[in-house]
Amino acid sequence: MNANPSPATGGCQCGAVRYAIDGPFRNPHICHCRMCQKAFGNYFAAFVGTEKAKFRWTRGKPGVFRSSDVVERRFCRDCGTPLSFAYDHSPYIAVAIGSLDDPACVTPQHQFGIESRLQAFATLHELPGTRTEDTIPAETMEKLKSRQHPDADRPSS
Amino acid sequence: MNTSSSTSGGCQCGAVRYRIAGTLCKASICHCRMCQKAFGNFGSALVAVPAAQVTWSRGKPATFRSSAIVDRGFCAACGTPLFLREDGDPNIEIAIGSLDDPNAIPAMIHQVGVESKVAWFDGLRDLPRRTTADDRTPEDLLRLKSLQHPDRDTEHWP
Repeated sequence: MNANPSPATGGCQCGAVRYAIDGPFRNPHICHCRMCQKAFGNYFAAFVGTEKAKFRWTRGKPGVFRSSDVVERRFCRDCGTPLSFAYDHSPYIAVAIGSLDDPACVTPQHQFGIESRLQAFATLHELPGTRTEDTIPAETMEKLKSRQHPDADRPSS
Repeated sequence: MNTSSSTSGGCQCGAVRYRIAGTLCKASICHCRMCQKAFGNFGSALVAVPAAQVTWSRGKPATFRSSAIVDRGFCAACGTPLFLREDGDPNIEIAIGSLDDPNAIPAMIHQVGVESKVAWFDGLRDLPRRTTADDRTPEDLLRLKSLQHPDRDTEHWP
């Protein structure tokens, strides 16, 4: 299992919704199912779980979409960031790994929903890579300065 | 290259739908920290399309201005990240997972924003694999029946 920071914090891009995880992480994984693809607008979703009792929303209230009769997917209504997934009957909740303030602190261990895995997925890591500043002029980099919430809790403004 | 004359897509709940006339252009993934947080993921997977060829056929996306010159579009009713567009860019970058057929895009050409790439990304392909049905009873699968919008345009939804 991954040792995780306690509390592990995270939230959406704009900072309207923030959360904290006080317990250990469990079952870090990615899911290729078609519902996760569409919910995340991506190849797959990346999740890490914890006990619902060890999870708290610390700022704002997320929106919710029930993607099936027994599942809640939560997201930020102000900026869209997909945040969590939970079965009604389960004691666990999973958060979107990219929404953690440190998404490198947990390593996925399984792939689920393999029946919908997209063709290009298997070779993504072999594509040539560039750094952001390699391809964008310095004056544009200044304009691209991030307005997203910092990767840490901050007092409300 | 994709040569189909029309491509469709939208958010998970179906409140926002779009159509793309003509050809999809460059496809890439981005690992930058802003794409990670906006998409709640390793980063983003985007395909460029001339903005003039995109029609919002149902609803309108909401936007968050993640920097002084970039709009990120999403569905305010279910959160699906839908697009990224820089001011003045003739192209709009569509989130490929929001396409009704995300396999029907041109070949991915590169990964950008690798300064923020998470170390676990390169090993994902080789992780142990399970299908959705492997760990569930038929009864579980019935309860998990998708309420998301179908991967095609609909007259009425839901």
